[in-house]
Amino acid sequence: MIDALTEAFVHLQGWMFDRLVQPPLLALGLGSHLEMAFDGIQFFLAGVLQISFAYLLLRPLEAWRPVEVWPDRRAARVDVLYSLLDRLGIVPLAVFALLAPLFAAIDGWFRLHDIIPPQLEDLLPALETRPLLCFLVYLLLLDFAEYWRHRLSHVLRWWWALHAIHHSQRRMTLWTDSRNHLLEDLIGGFWFASIALLIGVPPGQFIGLLLVVKTVENLAHVNARLSFGSLGERLLVSPRYHRWHHALELPAGDRYRHGCNFAVLLPVWDQLFGTQYRGQELPPCGLAGDPLPPDAASSGFWRQQREGLQAFAAALWSRGSATDGQRESRHAR
Amino acid sequence: MIRRHPACPARFLARVLALVLLLCASQMAAHAGLAIALNSADGTISLIDTDTYKVTGKINVCKEPHHLMPTPDDKSLIVACAASNQLVFFDPLTGQEQKRVRDISDPYHLGFSPNRKWFVATSLRLDRVDIYDPADFRLIARLPAPKAPSHLAFDDASQFVFVTLQDSNEVMAISLPTQKIAWVMPVAATPAGIVMSPDNRYLLVASMGEGVVEVIEWRARRSVRKVATATAAHNLQPKGDGRHFYVSNRSIDGSISLLDTQTMSVVEKYDVPGGPDDMMVRADGKELWATARFARKVQVVDLVSKQLKLSIPVGSSPHGVFFLNHAGLR
Repeated sequence: MIDALTEAFVHLQGWMFDRLVQPPLLALGLGSHLEMAFDGIQFFLAGVLQISFAYLLLRPLEAWRPVEVWPDRRAARVDVLYSLLDRLGIVPLAVFALLAPLFAAIDGWFRLHDIIPPQLEDLLPALETRPLLCFLVYLLLLDFAEYWRHRLSHVLRWWWALHAIHHSQRRMTLWTDSRNHLLEDLIGGFWFASIALLIGVPPGQFIGLLLVVKTVENLAHVNARLSFGSLGERLLVSPRYHRWHHALELPAGDRYRHGCNFAVLLPVWDQLFGTQYRGQELPPCGLAGDPLPPDAASSGFWRQQREGLQAFAAALWSRGSATDGQRESRHAR
Repeated sequence: MIRRHPACPARFLARVLALVLLLCASQMAAHAGLAIALNSADGTISLIDTDTYKVTGKINVCKEPHHLMPTPDDKSLIVACAASNQLVFFDPLTGQEQKRVRDISDPYHLGFSPNRKWFVATSLRLDRVDIYDPADFRLIARLPAPKAPSHLAFDDASQFVFVTLQDSNEVMAISLPTQKIAWVMPVAATPAGIVMSPDNRYLLVASMGEGVVEVIEWRARRSVRKVATATAAHNLQPKGDGRHFYVSNRSIDGSISLLDTQTMSVVEKYDVPGGPDDMMVRADGKELWATARFARKVQVVDLVSKQLKLSIPVGSSPHGVFFLNHAGLR
């Protein structure tokens, strides 16, 4: 069964490459990008699979045990568009096209000056021939980096202006994870890819790592009463845990002034850095106002992009951290 | 009550000896014909029994291994680990790892000069060609080679190494004694594989963009002919008769053309699906093995019936295959 599925996947990947991707690349004189394009198709197909599985498994869960019952899901439609752009490789492709030449130039400069940038395996040679262990270590390090990226996006005023689009959704569903301003996607992609390149993640594992992160993020945003149990909720970010990150009202206490529960996969980072809040209720989500207009929860894609840029520019011209903004847009309990 | 036979040292020793011989024989049988396939995306090598065509093992090697090359004495098979900045040496008889040479920056395609004085590695990703001393793999020269230096070939006198520049559609000649770029000339689009003709007169360059093998009279730096093969002509492998080369046409439908270097024409063509890439011919000339890059397989072509004989499932993006019992590499 698995062999047959793998065979079908490989066949489809090969067919798409041969019929759709290789001819234009060769015609444009971009033949040396063929191998990368082949990996890109794998990313696209993996995204299709991931989004299909998320829909088939998580959507029934939302229908079966919803946290909130809405008369319709119109407000979530724009998040589906964001998800398609993100998961089917359009946003990652743009990030890659912008970053790959830059990284190649920097790396090339180092090598021409006899500097080989160190990799994780130089410190831990045992990882060289243990790809699964290596994958888990990469996942741990990237998740640590993602915690800080996420936390900074709440602390820095200009970043919060962009990230607020993600938080403006009041009807949080499995699709909400990808609801991000395109500029924030670019910054986040740069962050993730930089760390991945710095520790030496190979392309094949990069796709796998992204899939794991995205799958857990889908699950974390699901509108469903789903418990991981007392131990499970300490080990992996659950929908309840992440719902508190999106809560309309911030938990009381100065340490939550920028928000709480920033972890993407592992709650341990919040525990270590004092940002964990383990509330048992399931609070309402969203923002009350600033930096986006009050109706941002239901606005369309292009309007969100425009308003996000306006808020970003306004934040750049003003001083201070995002604390004030979050105090204005999320009530303290 | 169980009765034991009286101990007999001679019989015991004979049994131990027989057992040892049996074990040795089985070990030898297991590696009687070993093929090693290199899987770039998996970072592994697959060990294949060339008699039964069964995969007998898979070994984790490194990140992004791209090409493999035997040492001139055939005692080692070198795997170029591009993303790990290493060369990993394997015993081609057993598949056992022998050693790792570190700090080899981003090696992609490899080659020893015919006089064994130079070891050259291209860096496709970082636009560079490195020349090493093969005795200790000490870097001798590092030359910028934009864009996308791919495969390499030498002249018989080891005076030059020729490198295809995949993105700038050129061939670069580097003087080995001076380690300087001697010349660069334009060729057909997206050149990949490159070999020297048996008479040392022509460079044969596979052009993916045009689906041809371009014949270049290298001393005159002149393109003399383009021999059409098929879409995405990629790599060349000698048949071993001092006259013919197999040309892999790396598309999904895929084929392998047989090029006659005396008439400079295609004389045979075999359907080999899955993106045939690297190739190897059995010493008896009866089989051609090719890695199917987009199908995770090694394809075996029966050169007698001229049909695809069987497919051996290996890892993701197989990019090289080697066995000692081959028909020749030049």
